[in-house]
Formats: sequence, C-alpha cells, structure tokens
Amino acid sequence: MIESLLIANRGEIAVRVIRACREMGIRSVIAYSLADRDSLPVRMADERVCVGPPPARDSYLNVRNLVTAAVLSRCDALHPGVGFLAENASFAREVKDAGLIFIGPDPEVIELLGDKIRAKHSAREQGIPVIPGSEGSVSNAGEALASAKKLGFPVIVKAAAGGGGKGMRIVRTGDELAAVLSLASHEAEKAFSDGTVYLERYLENPRHVEIQIIADRKGNVVHLGERDCTVQQNHQKLIEESPSPAVSSDLRGRMGEDAVRLLRSLGYSGAGTVEFLVKDGKHYFMEVNARVQVEHPVSEMVTGVDIIRQQILSASDEALEFRQQDVRLGAYAVECRINARSAGRITRFLVPGGFGVRMDTFLYTGYSVPPWYDHLLGKLIVSARTRPEGLRRMESALAELVIEGIATNIETQRKIVAHPTFRKGDYGTEFIGEMLKEGDL
Amino acid sequence: MELKDLYALMERFEKSGLSELVFKRNDEEICLKKVLSAPPPAPVPVHHDAPHAVEAHAAAPAGEAPAKQLSDTEIITAPLVGTFYRAAAPDAPPFVEKGDIVKKGKTLCILEAMKLMNEFQAEFDLVIVNILVENGRMVEFGTPLFEVRRV
Repeated sequence: MIESLLIANRGEIAVRVIRACREMGIRSVIAYSLADRDSLPVRMADERVCVGPPPARDSYLNVRNLVTAAVLSRCDALHPGVGFLAENASFAREVKDAGLIFIGPDPEVIELLGDKIRAKHSAREQGIPVIPGSEGSVSNAGEALASAKKLGFPVIVKAAAGGGGKGMRIVRTGDELAAVLSLASHEAEKAFSDGTVYLERYLENPRHVEIQIIADRKGNVVHLGERDCTVQQNHQKLIEESPSPAVSSDLRGRMGEDAVRLLRSLGYSGAGTVEFLVKDGKHYFMEVNARVQVEHPVSEMVTGVDIIRQQILSASDEALEFRQQDVRLGAYAVECRINARSAGRITRFLVPGGFGVRMDTFLYTGYSVPPWYDHLLGKLIVSARTRPEGLRRMESALAELVIEGIATNIETQRKIVAHPTFRKGDYGTEFIGEMLKEGDL
Repeated sequence: MELKDLYALMERFEKSGLSELVFKRNDEEICLKKVLSAPPPAPVPVHHDAPHAVEAHAAAPAGEAPAKQLSDTEIITAPLVGTFYRAAAPDAPPFVEKGDIVKKGKTLCILEAMKLMNEFQAEFDLVIVNILVENGRMVEFGTPLFEVRRV
C-alpha cells in the first residue's frame, strides 16, 4: 500500500486528494508554486515543497522539480490530479523511472489514448460506434475535400493531440476547407506541438455524455454510470449531472458495456472517462480522458463510491472494493462549476450546506485567488432522489453560496438552473450559446 | 512551571517557525529544540544510485529571507528542487567558505536533481557572508542558500 503521496497539482483537486490521503492514513506532500504558498492544500498537506515560481511551465509543469521533490521527500507515489501533467505519457514514464508509482494508467496507455486517431481506431476495433470521419489524419486540402464530400458537410476538423477545443473548427462548405485546415493545424501545432488533424462529420447540437470507469490491475473494470456534460460554453463544461435526461436505461447499458470493453482491451487501470456524443438516441465514441475528471463527484454522489480512494487502491495493486453488480445507479446528482471571473482577495465566503449538499473548493475568507491558473474555484454538488428534487436543491444551495471580493459565475449558474429549457432536459451542446444570443444569461 | 503550561508551550513551539527556544523564569530553564533532520553521514559522491535519504527541508520557507539578514547583503536562493552539496565529492574541499571573496562564474554549490549534478555559479563578484543550508539537505525552489554581499 502507498505510504506517502506527492500531489503534483493545486486548487480543489489537491484538497480532494489530501482528504482521501488523510482517510487512508497516507502521508501527503504537496508540490506548490510560489503563487500558491497560502493556498488551502498547502496548509492542509502533511508536508509541502515549493517547486517553482508562479508560471505553470516553471512549477506545475516542471517535470524535473516535481519528480525530484517526490523522491527527496521520500514519497512512494505521485498523484497528478487533473490538467497540468495528468495525461502526459512522458511525465508518467519519468515518475515510474524514478521508482515511484504514478497514480493513473500505464504511460503506453496514456500515449495511445492521447492520440485521438489511435483511440478512435481502438474503439472501432471493439465494435463501438464512432463518428464517421477520415481514415486517420488528413495532410492536404485535396485529400480533406474528398473525405469531406464522402462524409457530407458540415464537418469538424480536430487535432489528433487535441483537447479543450484547440485545433477544432467546424466547416460548412468545401470553399472554406483548405483555409480552415491550415488554421486548425497551425493552432494544434502551437498548443500541442503536433499539427496532425483529422476530419469527422459534425453532429449538430448533440448531447455530451460520458461513462465513468474505475479499473484495478487485477482485471476488474467497472463503470459508475454516465454523466451528462451537455451544458458547455466554448467547450468548457459548466454543469454535469447523472443520470442524463437524454439516456434511456437501454442506451446506458450499451454505453457502459462499450466503455468497459474498450478500457479492458487496453489494459487500462485507475479512473478514466469514456466520452460519447449522443444524437437521436444513438451514441458515438469521442475520446477517453485517461485520468480522474473535475466532475467525478457527480458519480461519487450517485453511487457512493469514493473514486479517488479506488484510484489510489488500484495504483497500489489492491483490488477494487466492489464489483459491477454492487454499483447502484438510480439516485440523481448534479454539479455546478463555480468559476472566477477575476482574481483577488476573497473578503467573504459562505459555503452552502444541508442534506445532500457538497462543496469541493480550496477557498477560504481572506485567501487571494492568484491570476496565474485555471478559473475553477470550486464545485457545488447536490444529490437527490430525482432530477426535479435535485435541481430545486441546487437552486437553494446556489442561493446560499456567497463569494465576495472577486467576480464569479454564480448568478449565471442560477439562471441556467432556473431556465425552462434546462429544466425540461431537452437541449444540446449549443444551448448556452443560444441562451447568450437571446440575452438570457 | 505547571505541566499543562509546558504542554501549551510545546504545542505553540511546534507550530512556530522557530527551531530552538530557551525559556527562563526564576530558577527554571526550559530549552526546546526541533530535530529538523539528522545531518547525512557524509557528503555523497557524485556517482550515486539510490535516492538520498534526506529529510524534507524544514528551514526558512521558500522565497523568504532569514530574519537576521544584514541590510547591505543579498540572498541567493535555489533555482530548482534538489539536494544541496557544498563540494564536488565527499573528500573534496567545499567550493566556498564563509568570508570567501568569489569571482563571477565560480561554482558556489551543486544542486542534485534526478541524478544530475547542477553546478550553481555566482552571477556577480561577491563575498560569502553566510551559508544558509547544511550540506546534503533537500532544498525547495526559493530556499535561501547563501547570504552574500556584492563587491
């Protein structure tokens, strides 16, 4: 069993991992940048090591300092959290080469899944429906045009190394294709040092639904149902819920089985998410996130499974503490991401509470939110028996949440949760864009 | 002193940034010391396989100058996480000693990270006023290493 864990991350996910460590009797060591000296995880961890100045490339992305910090502070494992180096295969390899356990899948698996073209190929091999697209990458305009004509417009250009919407462009006519292709490739090259792009038919206004997987190294691969992450703005998720109002129990079963089969075939271990697009009752494989995700608490609240704990057990070569038949779906949970719209000092912070309410955050009154990193301040999660009950609870919890001193998106979240379209559950990924256009946000 | 007062003092001391506390009242004297780390047996050779068994650094927090810093001196801090060595080998003399006048470009210490020995050089002509880290200790980014005066 792991005895000491270095957390190579910050913010609310670092707090989440430290809490799991405390419960499991694991010594936690946090790696932090100078900008995070006064942050909650740095206060909470058993030990702390400063790994660099504020810019992430010199601290949270500084492989040498992170690995050295883990070794010199006598850790036997490293948790990468989410973002930063969580899906970086060469980092995972460096961690392993230093004799440490990397909390995540094997580097080879991360590498394969990081290449969206190879990942899609693996899914197709397992008989999982994929979005029709180019066979592999497209390198020139002629090839792209032929492929796009076969698929039918609109098409979407995606980066093989992609993520976060970078290198992603929708193309509606053949005339635009050549220009968009070079633009997307250039953007991908800049963001991921890999300009490889491919084409897919563009599904208009689909649902974004993902299956949470947890796997150990003893052959147990279990899914915890789906999360619906359709409420997005600029490809950034805002609200996640489970179960999805757009997924029937039949579809849920098929998606769950597909996700389990795919990750089992890859020898996957730890927490992971298989992302699908759902359109007209059909699901299409999109990609795998080879790490724990920001929205993992939604599945935790539905199933009662502590995903971080299982992730740590799995990395320690222990078996999962449950099997598929033990997973009870049926309850409802929803999460609102609470984002900052400015940096600065929190002058007042009041956390909502009560039955079925959970807040994962790293804020405290008097804390200064640094301007250097991600805008996520915390996640407000509620659970309930049904969606209507859960959304009423979320409205009430959002009304209780007070963050003063900086600008946040709390009011926007209240408007979304109260919106009749959201309440009805009938919308696609373009919902937020439409609301903005109509002046509803 | 009552036992409970002693316990309270110990607790307060534990949380403080102090490494040593001497408390005298009437004919009582209490001395509290923090064992921050056992100094390593000897400086470690350059070629070295196992990770060093050094205690986590517990000196001044990263980026903070020590309290006693003289006004005309500057603090040189660690640019990376690693193990601090004052000499190239266990039997070699230290690169610098307190009071040395050092020319720009001279090696001040070695910082070992991931089995790489990073020589850390003076960026200007200086006098070593104080050496702030013990040989063989882990340093964080920003740990004060040397107090120096420009010459």
